[in-house]
Amino acid sequence: MTAPARPPHARRLWRQARLSVRLLAAHRLRTVLSASGLVAGVATVMVMVALGRGAERRVVDRVRALGTDLLVVTAAPAPRVAGRVRQVATTTLLRPTDAQAILDQVPRARAAAPAVHRTLVVRADGRNTTVAVTGTTPDGLRIRGISAARGRVHDEHEERERRRVAVVGPVLAATLFGADDPIGRELRIGTTPFEIIGVSRPRGVDPGGADLDNAVAIPLETALRRVVNVPYVDALYVQGRGTAELEALEGDVRVMLRERHRIRDGAPEAFTVQNQAVILRTERAAARALDRLTVGVAALAVVVGGIGIFAVMLISVRERTREIGLRRALGARRSDIRAQFVTEASLLAVAGGAGGVAVGVLVTLLGAALASWTLVIPWSAAAASVAASALLGIAVGTVPAARAARLEPIEALRAG
Amino acid sequence: MTDPGATPVISVRDLRRTYRKGPTETVVLRGVTFDVRRGEFVAITGASGSGKSTLMNVLGLLDQPDAGTYLLDGADVSRADDDARSALRSRHLGFVFQQFHLMERSTALENVMLPLLYVADDPADGEARAHAALNAVGLGHRLTHRPGELSGGEQQRVAIARALINDPSLLLADEPTGNLDERNGAELLALLRSLASAGRTIVMVTHDAGVAARADRVLVMRDGQLAATAR
Repeated sequence: MTAPARPPHARRLWRQARLSVRLLAAHRLRTVLSASGLVAGVATVMVMVALGRGAERRVVDRVRALGTDLLVVTAAPAPRVAGRVRQVATTTLLRPTDAQAILDQVPRARAAAPAVHRTLVVRADGRNTTVAVTGTTPDGLRIRGISAARGRVHDEHEERERRRVAVVGPVLAATLFGADDPIGRELRIGTTPFEIIGVSRPRGVDPGGADLDNAVAIPLETALRRVVNVPYVDALYVQGRGTAELEALEGDVRVMLRERHRIRDGAPEAFTVQNQAVILRTERAAARALDRLTVGVAALAVVVGGIGIFAVMLISVRERTREIGLRRALGARRSDIRAQFVTEASLLAVAGGAGGVAVGVLVTLLGAALASWTLVIPWSAAAASVAASALLGIAVGTVPAARAARLEPIEALRAG
Repeated sequence: MTDPGATPVISVRDLRRTYRKGPTETVVLRGVTFDVRRGEFVAITGASGSGKSTLMNVLGLLDQPDAGTYLLDGADVSRADDDARSALRSRHLGFVFQQFHLMERSTALENVMLPLLYVADDPADGEARAHAALNAVGLGHRLTHRPGELSGGEQQRVAIARALINDPSLLLADEPTGNLDERNGAELLALLRSLASAGRTIVMVTHDAGVAARADRVLVMRDGQLAATAR
């Protein structure tokens, strides 16, 4: 006598899944408890990935805000490794003429401008505050993306004439004047009075986290002669013709500056070139490294969650020995019993994974709403978590299922 | 093919079963031979340790004989492998146990439908069949009750409905009244009697001579062999 035909696998699996759902629903508390480890693990992973991606996006946005076609040459030696510090660093004294020379002699440079930066006390209307003061040319304003939301920014004429005019950032304007219109009002930088001619558009924060809107911009020559009283600038902004060319531009600028400042071959440079494209790449790489770390933590969390399900499945097989015996007597093959427990374990794991995704998304939404996290929901991580949970369920369900399938029907029926 | 009415449902010849536990061998069945005809209600009785439970397990394809042949519906099943025996159980056998063995968290209807999970049929009409089976045992009004909400007699009738859902050739009842009081036991026996009258083949194991007396025929096991056949 041959065994009667069996229904196709897909249908049998579907019937099995429905049965398993009913059984899991019937054992609500045990189901929730056994999946809770996985829920916690996956939720943690989701939140970590969300935080990591959020941080990455913030940094990338800031770098982008400054422009990824920008070099910033600063008049400070590159940081030396310990042990070489003894060799006293000489600072290259950058002059406004360096910017003009770059523009004239480096074809890859689209624009170049000198700038001075100071952190100074400013006063107006009886209030005072400490802000970042930038002195730069109209080209410098353009390169740094400083434009007027109201009023105007200074022009070449005012630059040449060393006029005492200032463009204030929106945050500074609010600090000093509240809702009043600051245009035409007086602002003292140190003791020097300036006329406010414009309020700049909001620019957010820079990669270092400094608020670009709590700042004031004045003409470079005015700054050199009336505020800082030195003929040297702190930085040269050099704009390239695109992100792709930026490294070549950096090389050109280095060669040119070494020549102009007569730095011998092999001698250390006494200036630093900050390449926005490189910063972006570095930040990205750091974020990716963090992602790999997160994947490691994720794997660990999921394995811990899997152990919980494994333990509960083993208990479940013991508790349900009689049920297994009954099913065998009613015609279940060993493979049917195995399929039942594997299905149950993977459903449990998928439910845990999905629950973890839900909790993770909820926490991320709450964080975005209450703690001003950058809102990034990593759906790819969510999908990966659920898929990994399913595989995990199959993996940890295998041993308990094999145990269940091995039971002899007669002994199983006699149990408990 | 011969007329199916003429083929015995059960035909066993010289069944032997020995249990080995370490060096000790316990011979439980020492050559059992009998037939059960279609529509017969047969009781197997005997003292505890007489081998009647082992015989029941062998007949139920839950245990395998070491020697001898077992023809179920004319087919030799004595050497069938585990999967084949599972398939035969689901198609040809219905079990009723002393402890009912119902799923506590499932309703009567769900319990009766359980065997459908392991047969080839599409269970599209499964619920209707289960409903009909429960009606047949007089529990049409208890479909959504769980075992805990039913009396012992009702629970055993749910078990009978479950055993009959796949219309098996043979109903095997192992001490079906063992956990019932006298009144419920009598009702259950009446139910088995009426099933037999309707043409169902039933083999019932019991240690109770009074219960056994309700069958058409009584096989008495003694020390692993059939001692007598009483009408």
